[in-house]
Amino acid sequence: MNTVPQIIFPVAIPLIAAFLLPIAGRCHAGFGRIFGRAAVLVTFLASALLAWQVAGAGPASSAMGGFKAPLGIVFYADNLAMAFVLLLNIGVWLFWPSGDEDRSGPYTLLLTLLGGGAGLVLSGDLFNIFVFYEIVAVASYGLAASGGSAAGFGASLRYLLLSALGSSLALMGIALVYAAAGTLNLADLALLAPDVLRGPPGAAAFLLLLIGFGVKAELFPVNSWVPEIYASAPVRVTSLLAGIVSKLALIVILRFLVLVFPMPSAYGLLLTLGILGVLAGELAAYRARDLNSTFAWSSIAQLGVIAIAFSIPGPAGIAAGIALALHHAVVKPAFFFIADKWRGDVKLLSGGARTSPLVAALFVLLSLSIIGIPPLPGFWAKYLLLDAAFSSSPAYWLAAAVVLAGAVVEGAYLFRAAGFFYGGPQKGRGAALFMPGELVPAFVLGAVLLVAMFAIAPLGAYITSMAVQAADVPAIAAQILLGGN
Amino acid sequence: MSTGAVLYAGAIGLFLIGCYAMVAERHLIRNILGLVLVESGVNLLLVAVGFRENAAAPILKAGQSAGMMVDPLPQALVLTAIVIGFGVLALALALVVRVHQAYGTLDTREVARLMRVEREASGPGAAGPRAGAKS
Amino acid sequence: MSLLLRRRFFWEEIDLMSLLDILLLVAALLASGLFVLGRGSFAGWLATVVYGLMLAVLAIAGLALDSGVAFIPSAMSFEILGRNLGWRLDGLGWFFALLTVGAAFFASWYGSGEWGRKQKRMGLQHALLALNVLAMLLLLSSGDLLSLFIGWELVSWAAFAIMTQGGGPAVAAAYRYMIYALAGAMAVFAAIMLVQNVTGGLGFADLQTAISAMSTAQVWVLFILFAAGFGVKMALMPFHLWQAPAYSETPGASSAFLNAVSARMGLFALILVLVKLTGLEALGSLAIPFTFMSAKSALMWVAAITMVVPTFIALMQTDARMLLTWHGIGQGGYMLLGVLVGTSLGTAGGLMHVFNYATYQAALFLAVTAVIHRAGTSDLDELGGLITRMPWTYVTLLMGIIGLAGLPPMNGFVSKWMIYKSLLDGGQPLLLIMAFAATLGTILSVYKLIHNIFLGQLRREHQHLKEAPVSMVLPMLILAGIGFVTGFMPGLALNITDIAQRAIGGDMLPHHLGGVTLATGSLNMLWVVGVLIGAIGAGALIFYLLGNRRYEVHQFDNYAGGHFLSADIRYHFSHEFYPGLARVIGPWYRGSIVRAEQGIGILVNVAGDLWQAVFRVAYTPLYMLLVVVLGLVFTGSWGIVP
Repeated sequence: MNTVPQIIFPVAIPLIAAFLLPIAGRCHAGFGRIFGRAAVLVTFLASALLAWQVAGAGPASSAMGGFKAPLGIVFYADNLAMAFVLLLNIGVWLFWPSGDEDRSGPYTLLLTLLGGGAGLVLSGDLFNIFVFYEIVAVASYGLAASGGSAAGFGASLRYLLLSALGSSLALMGIALVYAAAGTLNLADLALLAPDVLRGPPGAAAFLLLLIGFGVKAELFPVNSWVPEIYASAPVRVTSLLAGIVSKLALIVILRFLVLVFPMPSAYGLLLTLGILGVLAGELAAYRARDLNSTFAWSSIAQLGVIAIAFSIPGPAGIAAGIALALHHAVVKPAFFFIADKWRGDVKLLSGGARTSPLVAALFVLLSLSIIGIPPLPGFWAKYLLLDAAFSSSPAYWLAAAVVLAGAVVEGAYLFRAAGFFYGGPQKGRGAALFMPGELVPAFVLGAVLLVAMFAIAPLGAYITSMAVQAADVPAIAAQILLGGN
Repeated sequence: MSTGAVLYAGAIGLFLIGCYAMVAERHLIRNILGLVLVESGVNLLLVAVGFRENAAAPILKAGQSAGMMVDPLPQALVLTAIVIGFGVLALALALVVRVHQAYGTLDTREVARLMRVEREASGPGAAGPRAGAKS
Repeated sequence: MSLLLRRRFFWEEIDLMSLLDILLLVAALLASGLFVLGRGSFAGWLATVVYGLMLAVLAIAGLALDSGVAFIPSAMSFEILGRNLGWRLDGLGWFFALLTVGAAFFASWYGSGEWGRKQKRMGLQHALLALNVLAMLLLLSSGDLLSLFIGWELVSWAAFAIMTQGGGPAVAAAYRYMIYALAGAMAVFAAIMLVQNVTGGLGFADLQTAISAMSTAQVWVLFILFAAGFGVKMALMPFHLWQAPAYSETPGASSAFLNAVSARMGLFALILVLVKLTGLEALGSLAIPFTFMSAKSALMWVAAITMVVPTFIALMQTDARMLLTWHGIGQGGYMLLGVLVGTSLGTAGGLMHVFNYATYQAALFLAVTAVIHRAGTSDLDELGGLITRMPWTYVTLLMGIIGLAGLPPMNGFVSKWMIYKSLLDGGQPLLLIMAFAATLGTILSVYKLIHNIFLGQLRREHQHLKEAPVSMVLPMLILAGIGFVTGFMPGLALNITDIAQRAIGGDMLPHHLGGVTLATGSLNMLWVVGVLIGAIGAGALIFYLLGNRRYEVHQFDNYAGGHFLSADIRYHFSHEFYPGLARVIGPWYRGSIVRAEQGIGILVNVAGDLWQAVFRVAYTPLYMLLVVVLGLVFTGSWGIVP
């Protein structure tokens, strides 16, 4: 068993830096930004080191302050958690505000988001997860409003009310779990669950947790904030929230499902919400008139697909979900960057391919991948999903059919937009719109997608091993309980 | 009626009243107050979960067994939750101030309508710094 | 052939790269090369030469396959996510590959000359054509279900890319195609995943294992998914609406290519999956409950309806390209019907029809493109009398429509005769009547085509038109010539279809250079054509011997009722060409499938609007509570109140 105290670094470094940053910003105007970037870099290096250790020596855990689980607070890192911590780090680095403004506010919030997000996936304790979830939530309210527009404040406020109500429901679920099991340590719960959390109390607790954490995971039906926030927040924040933070919440839901509530009714709930999310998202995206809300709605649909994948019992479903989540984390931010160039009606895209052929080509590439056209990575992710779904019960066959039908609708609206890009007369929004510097992250992500296409085999093997590790409940429980020795 | 039942009834009652305020009221401040009620209800529920009839406060003194005490963990949780709720409330109120500055109203429908108008107006050509951006 | 067999061929010496590897590599290099340096005028000629070389490679491969090699392997293979992806070319794929590269050869040649210089971004069109060829070769040489699906998607999207090149209405048509193709692909995707679920593998053999292991209901699902998914590509009814506009709006040379082979990829996949792997007996034993029909007969009827209805829709078209593309849909029905009959005669007839159709449809499309190139339109109401202006184009079109209508001496007659004969021998009189009805419609509408373009009154604005340049006339005349030669000596084409038929399995069709000899009746085209030419020759002889009483008048030198008709007076009626016929069959044009398509669109729109209207932030807390309550009911959690 593997005890690694450094597990705290990905959480602690950014949080400490977040508190120091305003002070640093006071000292010198430009210093805050450099300090923030440096903190992200250090966090990334620490996380990468930890990920390396975890990949080599197996899952690690550590009890804070020497208090052993189940009384103490435990962090647990396996390959899955580390992959998403690294993803979050890279995302924060890539989507760091590019402007020359010297406000330290957004930087502080980004660092808070980084620390909170890492804590969210590394925590081995239900209540800790709740606390980190709230940290992430508060940071994202602030970030969503950081564009400075009035609509941004309004959207952020409405998002806050919704999310806080969700958090309250989640807390209620935690209370139920505690009432039934008398502990909140995930490993403890995993061992106790078969006795005390089966049947109605467990299902109710899972439902409340699902709805609560589902707000951030863009689950149906608590995702109505999505189009509004994504339309009014700065594009980098949108990319971060849609691309990465939503996945962290889903990973947490996955942990609950695998460790604490592995029962048919829980899987059924997640599956139902996932299917409804796909339907709602794809259909609404088809009717959206501007690119931004198109991608917001389609993001809901894709998270629904990931939810469907996670609702398939066994490592195959988890692997499919991870692959879909990683793919979406690469594609969706790039989409939002393109949408940011062409705010408003899709008809404004008209003739865009002539002024910015590279952007148009990138758009088509991303579209093809997200629809799932071989040999792009999106196809293999979808392949894993169908593979897992078809080897499960017939309810999942229905889900697979919905996902496939959704892909057709997706193709319809994405290529309607591509049609405006390539066809039609130019509408006067010419070369001035295309500033390559602002689209660098999008092109980086496009390049990642292309590289991943040639590395499907190793990626697939890695994701599968990750999923097998994440599905191995006894090993996780043992590691968490023994951590801190 | 036992104390426990009162606690549970109070928790659920607060929760429902708060939900009503959040769903049915059209004033942003009232919505936020609803949120506060919901949080109070849930906190009360957590306390009720750890509550034991006729038990002592969870401070271990000599000669006392742990079995006679109220469960301390939920209380710790509630303390944390209250702090989080406080922080969220402060942020919400700050946002309300900004919304009121921008729109001059706190009516939810009116705010939603104005937001839609603003988004549509800032649609085409708003790729650069957004209208009304403050530095 | 037997002389050749005794030698050691040089391809047996090559271990590093098989012929298929060479073919794929060359296609990939060509496609990428044209994308990079496709601007120059030499690009088209380069592509043409490379296609010629590829044809030579395919010819060698054909000899190898004919000498009994089961398939030509490829060194290219991947192992991804625990599945092996491999490619290999068998006789069936080779047959379609030959047609593909051949069609690309002629299309590229045609596009390299004057026509291509008038096009915007012709370099891109050449590159996309090469991409299409590469994608099709990958599809045709797929060695398992997964590579089949990958090839399928590549073909679909490559075709989509080339369809959009026309701009304007072409983009709209291509978009419609894309949605159909995507839906079809998703059906195929679901089908192969079903197979994998049963057997754990995606090889072709796994499909056969899966079918024997599945319940009847599952086999039905599999059959419908495959038939619908692949059927979309070959525009089987009711998935046919996209094809005519999409192929018509594609720029000329590429359109000829797409028309000749693109839809046939669907036929290839259907033959591979349903006929070769599943087997017609299995399809025949898949009975539809409460009827006397089976999956096989149902598909045959779908093919028959696809044969008849689009043909009569073609009759009503006023645009030459639309008329031809609607016929293309109908001709696909003949091919599928022939193959589904399942006898050696039917299969050979269906496959030969694929070959024949590729020759005459490409020739026809190139001819119509030549007309557009000179006259600027393909609207049948605005042409006429071009026979004196563009005689070679006229000859090509005449030969093409004789083939399309299935009349001697062109090759279309042979394959249609074989299909009729197989239906007759197979005891399918109703389907035979359908085939005849479709042929009747074909003859009527191709007459409209040639009449409205080339016969009758020459328009004043076309008075000084010149014949299309040699670079355009030569490819189309050669194509028409192939059509005549393989009509005169069908054994040449049947040698080629033999290779495909051997790969499908089943009995072979005995044939000779002039046709087939059967117990129930034979066909010898050498005789048929000989008699035909002899009779025409005799008639000509009599005509000239009896005095040759003719003198030439100018096309504008016309009289009616004793009055001189100036060129401004329209006496050549091309508008509403078959008024009587239209009155009879007009009421049948209900457009019910068009309405179904619109209905689906409206449904998606309304549902999308509904979601957007219902999904407001303000209502969400309510939904949240609603879901909690419903979820509690769903999970039966009411008993937990302490």
